[in-house]
Amino acid sequence: MRQLLRAVIFGILGYLIGAALTWLIRGGSMGDEVCVVFGYILGLIGWLFGIGMGDTWVREWFGLPARKYEVTGWKRYLGFSTDHKVIGVQYLATFIVVLLLGGVAAMIIRFELAQAGEGILNADRYNQVMSMHGILMVAVAVAAILGSFGNYLVPIMIGADDMAFPRLNAVTFWLIPPVAIGLLAAPTLGSFDAGWTAYPPLSVVNNGGQILFVLAVTTFGLSSILGGLNVITTIVTMRAPGMTWGRLPIFVWGAFSASLISLLTTQFFAASLILIAMDRVAGTVFFNGGAGGDPLLYQHLFWFYSHPAVYVMVLPGFGAVLETITHMSRKPLFAYKAVVVSFLSIAGLSVIVWAHHMFTSGMAEYLHGPFMFASEMISVPTGMVFLSAVATLWRGKLWMKTPLFFAMIWIFQFLMGGVTGIFLADVVTDVSLHDSYFVVAHFHYTIMGGMLFAFLTGIFFWFPKITGRMINDRLGIIFALWLTIAFQLTFLPQFWLGTNGMNRRIADYPEQLEGANLMSSISAFILGSSFILFVYILLSGAIRGPKAGGNPWNASTLEWQVSSPPPEHNFSGQPTVVGHPYGYGTAGSRHAEFADVTVAAAPPEQPGTDQGGDHE
Amino acid sequence: MDQQRRNDWILFGSFWAVFSVVGFYLVLGIDLLPAQWAHEAEVVDDAYILLMGLSIPIFAGVAAALLTSLIRFRVKVEGQPTEDGPPVHNNRNFVRLWIASTLMLALMITVNPGFIGIAELRGEPSADIVVEVQAQRWSWKVNYENGAETFNQLYLPADRRVRFDITSLDLVHSFWIPGFRVKIDAVPGRVTHLYVTPEGVGSFEDDFNLRVQCAEICGLGHAQMAMPVTVLEPADFDAWVSDLAEGA
Amino acid sequence: MAMTTTPEADHSRAAATYRPAANRLGLWLFLASETFLFAAFISSRFVVSGTDQPEHLNQGLALLLTLLLLLSSISAFRAEAAMAHDNRKLFHREMLTTIVLGLLFLVGVGVEFNEAVADFPVGTIYGSSFFMLIGLHAFHVLTGILALGVVWNLGRKGHYSSQDHWPVEGVVKYWHFVDLMWVAIYPTLYLFGGS
Ligand code: HEA
Ligand code: HEA
Ligand code: CUA
Ligand SMILES: [Cu+2]
Repeated sequence: MRQLLRAVIFGILGYLIGAALTWLIRGGSMGDEVCVVFGYILGLIGWLFGIGMGDTWVREWFGLPARKYEVTGWKRYLGFSTDHKVIGVQYLATFIVVLLLGGVAAMIIRFELAQAGEGILNADRYNQVMSMHGILMVAVAVAAILGSFGNYLVPIMIGADDMAFPRLNAVTFWLIPPVAIGLLAAPTLGSFDAGWTAYPPLSVVNNGGQILFVLAVTTFGLSSILGGLNVITTIVTMRAPGMTWGRLPIFVWGAFSASLISLLTTQFFAASLILIAMDRVAGTVFFNGGAGGDPLLYQHLFWFYSHPAVYVMVLPGFGAVLETITHMSRKPLFAYKAVVVSFLSIAGLSVIVWAHHMFTSGMAEYLHGPFMFASEMISVPTGMVFLSAVATLWRGKLWMKTPLFFAMIWIFQFLMGGVTGIFLADVVTDVSLHDSYFVVAHFHYTIMGGMLFAFLTGIFFWFPKITGRMINDRLGIIFALWLTIAFQLTFLPQFWLGTNGMNRRIADYPEQLEGANLMSSISAFILGSSFILFVYILLSGAIRGPKAGGNPWNASTLEWQVSSPPPEHNFSGQPTVVGHPYGYGTAGSRHAEFADVTVAAAPPEQPGTDQGGDHE
Repeated sequence: MDQQRRNDWILFGSFWAVFSVVGFYLVLGIDLLPAQWAHEAEVVDDAYILLMGLSIPIFAGVAAALLTSLIRFRVKVEGQPTEDGPPVHNNRNFVRLWIASTLMLALMITVNPGFIGIAELRGEPSADIVVEVQAQRWSWKVNYENGAETFNQLYLPADRRVRFDITSLDLVHSFWIPGFRVKIDAVPGRVTHLYVTPEGVGSFEDDFNLRVQCAEICGLGHAQMAMPVTVLEPADFDAWVSDLAEGA
Repeated sequence: MAMTTTPEADHSRAAATYRPAANRLGLWLFLASETFLFAAFISSRFVVSGTDQPEHLNQGLALLLTLLLLLSSISAFRAEAAMAHDNRKLFHREMLTTIVLGLLFLVGVGVEFNEAVADFPVGTIYGSSFFMLIGLHAFHVLTGILALGVVWNLGRKGHYSSQDHWPVEGVVKYWHFVDLMWVAIYPTLYLFGGS
């Protein structure tokens, strides 16, 4: 608490000092974008020092003894904690809040679009709300699974006691609140209205809020890069004895390949945004067509990151869903090796398809064919993931609890998104569909249906591990069905709208399209209200759900062999991995042994007994 | 036991067949696409329908597998599960078959609506008339070959191949005619080209998709940055253009 | 299934056996990621202005700058080797040399900027790329000098030994990397193409 307060004060002071110094040096007014830039940078540094980076890390760098705070209980979650489990929960809570904020923006969008003509928003406000929705949701999609489950589970799953760089991990998380504050503060400078893609020249000439967008999103990129670095290093160097690459749980592989992408491509996003900032405040002309610059440069840089980013969103999602499916259907993951190869080839292919977002941008036509080809090829490894998911279910013993419901719905919805991606990857159809609502529907099926449903799968699957309690399963299934049906009714009409002449990012549209829009809007409200149930399920489960015990799903991987929530250093003895993670169906198969006790992979257990690692 | 496995597959097969039939009926039986006002629209729509046709069996297959699993393989669990599924870790041949067929399918799509479609859509880079379009926040200026100029109005002759030379004075805009199914961005500092052969005589009054709509966000007036398109008989068009040029 | 709890043992496991490998890998990954950042800016230069070059490029100064950095890489290397052999005096001297060479480089960049503003200002497309790339690199040189300074200071106070000098190793690797990036930027701005 004290740290948090200090961080806020240091952040504000930093901002004021930075802005004031710049103002003194160059004149003008304090609200100038240059002042905002330097204010933001100093504010960010102040915030990080305030929250506790200086007390440990920086002091150590200068050879001073680190200060340590002994905070326990729920207060840990409000400060600079280096425990990966605390950080995972911090991510989880933060991104659920951001998701709800972005969802409220979506509700405003749909309210405006329910009827043709100008409703509650004028065109300007509409663009701002839409851009805010887009960027908040993209942030959720990129970081929610990797940040929360990646942090919470990867170390436990590989038998480590923490991440490789715990303090870097904390900094990575504490970079996120300034991002949210920066974005939400943008309206004070006139907000940003160029969509989440922020194409110049629009993003160079629009309101001052765009500079906050640039700064905040660059910070977010920094956080992604550092997070990716940490996850990879952890997986490479911290595996428990016996945890060979072939025995890693599939979620770890998902996190690994997603981290590879975010470690190596996010720079291009940062670069594209920095160039915008330069054009805005330093007078460079990178995107000024009149002065010899080239607006397409931005699109190339931007999509070189932002296409791979969609796999940063779904690869951990693949991992979470496959993990759930194999445990809940009590069958080994089908074709484990092929799936791992697929993950890595998705990561590899993802960096050579970016220009499929630019088929109508005016770029050289000889580039269309190769990029179309590469984009179609990505469906092959992705298809492998589907085969694995479906074949794992086939003849399993499906235990239809909430997580498995979500996982199965995920398969259906992501297929919808993936197959419509093929329509967009095809130049001929994309020439018609680009920037229409078909694209909007495509990416809601992939991001929301793919990433968000995987996130929900993970939340419900690991909820007992994180909180130590069970949710109300009946309510969970009601939520799943409610959400899914409303989701189809919201976004299916948008495919039709796209093919029938409705383009994206408009507050007003031809009256002829009113029917489908109204349907989409009404369904969206039904969809939105389902999240009230979601919040209720989580809160009531966390507060007074029945105790879960260490291994409520009777699952085989390491995180289930310790108490719920896991003890401070995860394991009380050194775990040694002795076998495949998913030994279901093979009598006597074991994944891991602990120093003195042996934990069977999946021994039939009596309900409610606490197995393994209890500290009571 | 074997009987049971056979039943699984039979159920799966029947679902697949039913879903595919329903899917084909929905896609091909119901007219999902708007009226076509250009030769290019036919090419694009054919590609769209072909892709739809190819994705329906994939879709039906996955949906059938999910539904079959839900019906046949769910178990009632009291407390904690006591039974595991069969220890099937892999089935090499099946994986090979799957990868080979998805690869084939992907290649097929790349070739057929893909490369062949692109060739058909682009055609020869020759045109009967050239129309210059200039985008500027938030309006369109159109110049015809003989000096005629219109503002936020586009007139085109039917059955003649038109080349648009498009540019922008300020931001990136996008020149989209939904009735023609084609679009290209208007980029400051560049001239982009688009070839279309309008078919049939009509105007915005007949179909609201006969309009040029800006499809790249450009701020306040983006939604309103549209102009009606009128397709005339070639003779009428010639008369209209020369009238306008003389008047100017 | 109770297990014995020995958190202290866990701690030492993490501290002693795992860290050096992790640090090293972390640094390499960081440098790989930085390489992509430079790659983004370097490729931008070619995308927007091909290999066009303005007339007034100060080739002599650029060559001098390149030499300064290459020399500093050598002294940095010798500093690390000195620490590995517990030769503190040499370490001290070579570190200082590296820092001074780095500072000289920054001065040179300042001079170059002053000239360049007149010949190809920021508002031209080559000027944009030029200031962006050199500025980005100079920022890295600056952070490198700061880090070298911290390590030099700690080394002076006897914080490191031949057994335990990861910070020296890390900062010197970073310095080599910064030099390497200059070796990519120098031809990008000064050598390719012609006016
Ligand atoms: C999680 C996010 C996510 C994911 C996973 C994907 C996945 C894919 N996307 Fe999508 N996409 C977005 C998010 C995502 N996309 C977003 C946000 C945008 C809009 C950005 C903006 O402009 O704002 C976008 C836009 C977008 C475009 C640009 C549209 C335009 O603006 O004109 C294209 C074009 O090629 C495209 C293609 C694809 C393809 C080919 C895949 C493939 O990866 C899909 C692969 C999966 C399958 C194909 C299904 C499973 C496969 C099988 C069952 C095997 C058999 C099938 C075949 C062989 C066909 N996407
Ligand atoms: C994770 C990604 C994600 C998610 C989950 C969503 C969720 C939703 N999105 Fe969005 N969307 C994007 C990512 C996402 N979106 C992106 C990237 C864009 C592009 C932006 C751009 O073009 O730049 C976009 C654009 C976009 C558009 C197009 C705007 C335009 O082009 O003009 C529309 C229009 O319908 C839309 C609708 C919705 C709806 C109805 C939901 C719903 O599913 C939301 C449901 C959730 C909630 C509602 C929140 C929880 C509920 C409560 C807190 C209770 C209170 C609610 C009530 C008032 C009932 N989104
Ligand atoms: Cu012009 Cu949108
Ligand atoms: Cu993409």
